[in-house]
Amino acid sequence: MRPAASVVLLTTSTGFGFGLLAWLGAYSALGLLPQQGRGLLGAGIAVALLFTSTGLIASMFHLERKERAWRAFTQWRTSWLSREGIAAVLVYPVAIAFGVAFWRGAALPGTRVLGAATVVASLGTVYCTAMIYASLKPIRQWHNAHTAPDYLLYAVFSGAVLFAVVRTAALGSPGAVASAAAAAAAAAALLAKRAYWRHIDGQAPLATLAGAIGLPKGIEARPLDAPHFTENFILRQMGFAIARRHAAKLRSLALIIGFALPLALSVLGEFAPAPLAATALALACAALGLAVERWLFFAEATHVSALYYGRRI
Amino acid sequence: MSTLPERPQGAKRLGLVIDLDTCVGCHACAVNCKEWNTGGEAGILPDYDKYGPEPDGVWFNRIHSYETDAGGCSRTVNFPRSCLHCENPLCVTVCPTGASYKRAEDGIVLVDTDKCIGCQLCAWACPYGARELDEKAGVMRKCTLCVDRIYNESLPQEERVPACVASCPARARHFGDLADPDSEVSKLVKERGGADLLPGLGYQPTNKYLPPRRATIPTAPAKPAASGATGIGAALLGLLDRALSR
Repeated sequence: MRPAASVVLLTTSTGFGFGLLAWLGAYSALGLLPQQGRGLLGAGIAVALLFTSTGLIASMFHLERKERAWRAFTQWRTSWLSREGIAAVLVYPVAIAFGVAFWRGAALPGTRVLGAATVVASLGTVYCTAMIYASLKPIRQWHNAHTAPDYLLYAVFSGAVLFAVVRTAALGSPGAVASAAAAAAAAAALLAKRAYWRHIDGQAPLATLAGAIGLPKGIEARPLDAPHFTENFILRQMGFAIARRHAAKLRSLALIIGFALPLALSVLGEFAPAPLAATALALACAALGLAVERWLFFAEATHVSALYYGRRI
Repeated sequence: MSTLPERPQGAKRLGLVIDLDTCVGCHACAVNCKEWNTGGEAGILPDYDKYGPEPDGVWFNRIHSYETDAGGCSRTVNFPRSCLHCENPLCVTVCPTGASYKRAEDGIVLVDTDKCIGCQLCAWACPYGARELDEKAGVMRKCTLCVDRIYNESLPQEERVPACVASCPARARHFGDLADPDSEVSKLVKERGGADLLPGLGYQPTNKYLPPRRATIPTAPAKPAASGATGIGAALLGLLDRALSR
């Protein structure tokens, strides 16, 4: 599948934003944020909404008719894309109400409830995003049990890394809990990504060419003449292919830069003399690595319809 | 609306039956489809770089040719590919705006281009590659089963079939109601073992494809040509033949 920049930016940037909101909400719900953390929470919510807004604005560039985008809020009964849009918009009032409540009293039960609601709304939105891909049956690399939990895990990981930066900027250090959380999330995300790649590498193609054209079992078919000599919409979108050796290199890059380095830097951030530099570097690495990882998520995905053109799926 | 309709009892299931045995791969159906749908209700079907080195455009119907060993020997199978008007169309349910919909009364899957935002998710959801983006209008386009022909009372009755069916010189394309077991198309499917494409994905396509028939005709092995004459006459003729051949 063609990795469009708008969609890569949408999914990674909203992952950071919703992930950070989830951590802020969770820490507050668990009573781990003291009243003195008001500045941290305010800054955190602002940064998180900046990331989610960047992603959501990027997603608009994927639409051909942006002026009709409001229509996408109407089909929540069946469409995960519609659900994602609604959930993403709902996060804003919930997060802002949570921020206001926290300002008035961190320990109030209402604040904790709103913190929990922020967790549910933000991770719920990430789940909707993941399900857009996971529900597409013609793409075996997406339509599997890994996609939804992986997206949630990457959001939790990227949010943890971002939280460490915000906390260091506000309070001077990432704190043992946040550092441990970021390192653990990085390790979990790394293992999940490896498991995903092992899974898709072991999958059989969804169909054979003969099956795709309705021939009885046991008959072979080979492409002879294509309907047209130039690329068309289907081939540009669905026929995108990446050379295996390029994919292998990019996979290693994503693992090292996206997960291993942030893991090491998160641990370092707690002990290093310059914690802000360490956590900021972890954030930069995670952002770059996740962009590569997300680009690969699209580039390595194959669509059944490319089979009609004799492409490998 | 993206929700699939409740199909009333006795609702039609209009679709095509395409005979892979007789399709000659002439692309006439694709050309007539393009011609009809670039004008009329559905128009315009855009083209890009029409006279340049990379011509491209939107087509509802595209004809592939494959080499197969179907029918017991190597043969070419021509395969027209278009929307199959599935009973379970994921392209409809993924649509966030309700621009994609399936009609309750005849099962035709259509795009309301006034509502489409061009997100292209429906194209990703279709395993048959039947939906193409109109890059000029920024909306998704697809086969309409010539909904503006089949019910068009200004056309003579015999022309109220999809343009692809009307133009097929090999009569490889058939149009009718696949919900009616006694329709011509249903009978064809039954007689010839008409197949669904990619049935394992669960889209339940309406259109059916008739597999190629056995291409070899069994014949008795050829016998060596028997000489007509025998006896002394044959011997004399043989002598003469050898003498003249010298």
